[in-house]
Amino acid sequence: MKKIIVEGLKYKYPLSDTLALDDLSFQVNEGEFIGIIGKNSAGKSTLCQALVGLVPHFYKGAYGGKVIVDGLEVKSHSIADIALKVGMVFQNPFTQVTGSKMTVYEEIAFGLENIGLPRSEIIERTDYVLDMLKIEQVKDHNPFDLSGGQMQRMAIASIIAMKPDILVLDEPTSQLDPAGSEEVFSAIQNLSKQGITVILAEHKMEKVAQYCDRVLLLNDGKMVDLDSPEKVFSQKDLEEHGVRAPVFTRVCKALDVKKAASDDHPVTLEDAEKALRGRML
Amino acid sequence: MKLLKSISLYVDRKSFIHDIDPITKLLYILFALLVPIILPSFTISFFCLGISILLLCAAKVIRKTVPVYSFVFLVLITVVIIQGLFKPENETVLFQIGPVAMYKEGLLYALTITLRVMNIVSSFLILVLTTKPSDLVETLVRKGMSPRIGYVIVSVFQIIPEMMSSMGTIMDAQRARGMETEGNLFVRVKAFVPLLGPVILGSLINTKERAMALEVRGFNSRAPKTYLYEEKKYTHSRLIQSAMLVLVVGAVAWRIFV
Repeated sequence: MKKIIVEGLKYKYPLSDTLALDDLSFQVNEGEFIGIIGKNSAGKSTLCQALVGLVPHFYKGAYGGKVIVDGLEVKSHSIADIALKVGMVFQNPFTQVTGSKMTVYEEIAFGLENIGLPRSEIIERTDYVLDMLKIEQVKDHNPFDLSGGQMQRMAIASIIAMKPDILVLDEPTSQLDPAGSEEVFSAIQNLSKQGITVILAEHKMEKVAQYCDRVLLLNDGKMVDLDSPEKVFSQKDLEEHGVRAPVFTRVCKALDVKKAASDDHPVTLEDAEKALRGRML
Repeated sequence: MKLLKSISLYVDRKSFIHDIDPITKLLYILFALLVPIILPSFTISFFCLGISILLLCAAKVIRKTVPVYSFVFLVLITVVIIQGLFKPENETVLFQIGPVAMYKEGLLYALTITLRVMNIVSSFLILVLTTKPSDLVETLVRKGMSPRIGYVIVSVFQIIPEMMSSMGTIMDAQRARGMETEGNLFVRVKAFVPLLGPVILGSLINTKERAMALEVRGFNSRAPKTYLYEEKKYTHSRLIQSAMLVLVVGAVAWRIFV
């Protein structure tokens, strides 16, 4: 089943002369894990926001084409309706703190109160995500007293608790240390395995290569490619689009090592190891 | 980890006043305002003020009232002096200091004003010092106030201190780059100007991002809101509220018939 359908999406921010998104068309299947990559200001965040309806409802601006998420056309539904289907985690964890709650626990429950869940359900889901994101030990702290990494986990937990069918994450691990981002990625991968569709904008290419089913490469608001990580990162003109392939791919490219029985370079550590060992023997 | 300085006056103590319904406390402000107006005698005003002060003592927050009262006194002292000296109805000289005469009529009028102000301030302090802002707002939202207004009230208590701490960070950053921030008034004012740009622009951007984050968390959802906590059970709300109503009605009757 197609979970997300984007057709000819064009968008221009108010007061801007250039298109932030230029004629994007793609489809995403249910349960897929899609990575969005591209240099700064390539349109990654704008695309993420177009999937939850912040573009165009929040910003206004010129909008063309169609975005359909889980059967809802974004343009004709309110953000509150779309939010029940699509959850979004933003880059800056600090501004995602509502400021109206005194503890992390209440903060996570905020969204659940808004959508009118019964009390027992709120408690059950909050406990579940606290454990999942490993922030149980700070559940009684003030949200503003957390470290950047803890705040980021709280922001992710707050959205996951709302159990969206589609999860959109805009650089969710920018403030986390390597171990922390590994934990968050594997938590997201677990959700993806449970059938949630995940869209992730990220600069850490090694992570994108490791976890994503398909990668969408954006440049200047245009879609350059949407394909498997191997195919996208093996492109020769990748650097012209402002993206560097994962370090393993670059090593294999330099040595001209390809994945067994394919034309593409390996993108993960394991695949690179396999391919390189195969050559040494 | 930074600890926020709270701008709320709430004092966390255990007392029966803390356990009273915020709505009842709101009504008490109205009560303390109405009764001395209905029955404008000094005895009644003193009596109401006495009750408020007793309640503040019972709530163990009387020490926290001192700064508030001192500020109010500063304002009231000017009222006393001006009314005592210059009220048009002034006739009876009460006492004289050199060429300056204080009059009885003006002083009595000043006393009325003082008592009224003290009454309002004291009853208001009972609410503010013994009620968590979030409890007050939650009670009001449950009673039908818009959750948006509730959000604005509660978030102010956290976001203002947050803005102040970010202002501190910006000031430190500018000091680290060699800006003079200490010294005479002129230097301090000059140091304040480059602070305003980043602080104001920063909070505007933060507000935009926070608004988006609220949107995706269903803040504008039309579903009826539910609550993480069960409605707090407050004791004797009905009893106290009806007692106050009876007293107000009694006061009106007294005014009309006696």
